[in-house]
Amino acid sequence: MSTTLEIRDLTAGYGRIDILHRISLTIGNFGNVGLFGPNGHGKTTLLRTISGLINPREGSIRFNDIEIAGLSPRAIVEHGLIHVSQGNRLFPDLTIGECLTLGAYPKRARADEEANRDAVIKIFPKLAERWRQKVRTLSGGERQMVSIGTALMSSPRMLILDEPTLGLAPKIKEELCASVLGISERGVPLVVVEQDVEFLLELSKHLYLINHGEVATEIQPGQSLDHSEIMSLYFGQ
Amino acid sequence: MDAAAQIIFGGLFQGSLYAVMAVGLALIWTTIGVFNFSHGVLMMLGAYVAWQLTALAIPFSVVVPLTMILMAGVGWLLQASVVRPLIGRPNIVLVVVITTLAAASLIENGTLEVWGPRSKQIPALVDGNAMLLGVGVSLHQITIIFITPFILLALWLFLNRTRTGLALRAVAQNEDSALLVGLNVKMLYGLAFAISAALAALAGIFLGGYRFMSPVMGADPLLKALIVVVFGGLSSINGPIFAAYLIGFFEAVCSYYFGLYWTPALLFAVLIITLMVRPEGIFSGKSRGLA
Ligand SMILES: Nc1ncnc2c1ncn2[C@@H]1O[C@H](COP(=O)(O)OP(=O)(O)OP(=O)(O)O)[C@@H](O)[C@H]1O
Ligand SMILES: [Mg+2]
Repeated sequence: MSTTLEIRDLTAGYGRIDILHRISLTIGNFGNVGLFGPNGHGKTTLLRTISGLINPREGSIRFNDIEIAGLSPRAIVEHGLIHVSQGNRLFPDLTIGECLTLGAYPKRARADEEANRDAVIKIFPKLAERWRQKVRTLSGGERQMVSIGTALMSSPRMLILDEPTLGLAPKIKEELCASVLGISERGVPLVVVEQDVEFLLELSKHLYLINHGEVATEIQPGQSLDHSEIMSLYFGQ
Repeated sequence: MDAAAQIIFGGLFQGSLYAVMAVGLALIWTTIGVFNFSHGVLMMLGAYVAWQLTALAIPFSVVVPLTMILMAGVGWLLQASVVRPLIGRPNIVLVVVITTLAAASLIENGTLEVWGPRSKQIPALVDGNAMLLGVGVSLHQITIIFITPFILLALWLFLNRTRTGLALRAVAQNEDSALLVGLNVKMLYGLAFAISAALAALAGIFLGGYRFMSPVMGADPLLKALIVVVFGGLSSINGPIFAAYLIGFFEAVCSYYFGLYWTPALLFAVLIITLMVRPEGIFSGKSRGLA
């Protein structure tokens, strides 16, 4: 049984301004999904609406055939839909170890706390060396590792990553991308927003280009596009 | 011998009182990041509630926990009415100073209205006196000295060794992240205030057991608690605990050698010097900063 997330005619925004305009997408039928698109066109807004941080104005979000639109973030986390937000500062005054423990806060993740912690340390061995270091003193790359590690502690059924490599130096970025691929291979379906389309293509053959709060193009597996075609999607129209 | 005993006893006793008072204030600051200026009034109300329950002929061993539970409820309501609605505002620290001061004024006048201005006293935790190292001391005070460390230890263990304690420390550091790991933000904010108010009530019972109570009895302890918290540092509850005892001893030494009259002035001098040399407090690594 594959994990699916179906978004239908979703409208949401901030205050009275709509950012998403009746957007519809289906996630999970072909494994991982990559989202890309110009800055400020609503990718983060879409993810925040999915995880309940923003209340949708209209439309439906079904996670494994259960309606989750309008639920609290807490309830959505308990369904196993876990979101690592963009530019996450996490909990500055907690240590790495404490952050990970907090990741196991959802009830459904508690039984697997030990196993999940071992898995996180396997994926990010660096974290084990800095177990007692406060998050505020970590580098951007390390903090991103803790963010993703904390999300893994919540036993995700589906993991949403919003620009995980934002602002990272090329070498660190490569390492992190490898780790994210590793997580995918462990069987956690991913939804990833990235500016780096190369990385997205490595991760998934199912992409959505988000433009003006709508799906501009859907690229399905088999429909292989080369880099220049994607670039022209990005910039042209 | 006599002097040493008197200073040690006085320091331990004052330190215990300040610690119980300050740790509740520090709990709110370190978890929610605001100062609760009605903390002193909660202490006072705790003493009055205990007095009222005692007057209803409820045994004192029931009165103490019952008062703490009732006051925890009051703390929860206070949080829901004057703190929670303001969360997320950029100037929250300042606004909450004002709303909690307003609440304090309301509660103080309400107390005066309900229970009148006549001073009252509640029973001592333990009746009687004892001679200790040549100094006459009340068993009430000895009891406070002995149970306070256990209360502080329990609070420390709760915050540092339990899942809910961890969540409580995390909840105000980043609201988005708190929601995304599935914390029940409303419940945790309420819990912080409930625990804090219960501790304030306990301090009120401590104080009301050996001094006369009045509706303004919370003002001085609040000031002392503020000094302790600033002195000890704002990044955790450990700093204020040490600072409370340090200040207790400082006061005991001062009042023994210079008299009660000079003690507050000397205390403030030390506080000001501390703030100039180590603005983050003496037991603190790095302050959260007031902004
Ligand atoms: N809290 C907010 N209040 C009001 N408007 C907001 C808020 N957050 C984002 N916006 C606006 O919503 C629009 C979409 O922003 P969003 O963050 O979803 O874009 P994005 O596609 O994730 O961009 P990026 O690639 O830069 O992360 C932008 O115009 C932005 O200014
Ligand atoms: Mg974004």
